[in-house]
Amino acid sequence: MKTAVVLSLAIVAQAAGNVYLSKGMREMASAGQISGDDLPLILLRGIESPTIWIGTALLLAFFLLYAAALSWADLSFVLPATAFGYVVNVACGYYFLNEAVRPARWTGAALISIGVFFVARSGPVEHGSEKVVKPDRSGQ
Amino acid sequence: MKTAMAIAIVVFAGSAGDVSLTKGMKQVGVISVIVPRAFASIGKRVLTNKFFLVGVVFMAVSFFAFLAVLSWADLSLIIPATSISFVVSTVGAKLILKERISRLRWAGALLVSLGVALISLP
Repeated sequence: MKTAVVLSLAIVAQAAGNVYLSKGMREMASAGQISGDDLPLILLRGIESPTIWIGTALLLAFFLLYAAALSWADLSFVLPATAFGYVVNVACGYYFLNEAVRPARWTGAALISIGVFFVARSGPVEHGSEKVVKPDRSGQ
Repeated sequence: MKTAMAIAIVVFAGSAGDVSLTKGMKQVGVISVIVPRAFASIGKRVLTNKFFLVGVVFMAVSFFAFLAVLSWADLSLIIPATSISFVVSTVGAKLILKERISRLRWAGALLVSLGVALISLP
């Protein structure tokens, strides 16, 4: 249960963070502030953008939750599980933003869902222990 | 070519970061999210862990490469291209972290990787 809760929060934070960050970077790019390949300039400009601050804060929250989960669960469990965020994004776009979702995207969402289901069924095995914990009933 | 290089950096630095971060967090020990007053001592243990810090550096490299490539290429190209990192990280987890990965979990990682690629194609 603990793993499920922490990873759910992580997924939400990451999805929202990516949206904000992407928006912020595009705003900068369209304002012609990025000349191409100088990173320091991109960093400096980024500091001035509230959108990028919000995105970065959300991604930091994601990172803290992700690191916490990694303290007790396998990387090979936690990483694919967080990919469920992509499915959340597609579903949100469809239900809340009335986006037209093409069949290829639904197929991708289905593949991710099946993949995450497989990974969840494989159980969060603790590193170094020989004990295989059953799928997420006790939480870890 | 610039885009391919940047995407390779995003993928490999990201996976190296994941692996190192996991090693660090495993050394720190299980974090109880229920007990807030332990945060300070846990924070200190985490921030002084070598593997955690190396992991953060790798992730920062990956993140800035991602930011940079985001500014000139479409997200619909970048995400499918970097989706292979789910498989690269799983390989790293097996080889370096010695995680035992069942066939079911390999299949899951592969499906996730394919799904992520498919979902973000233009």
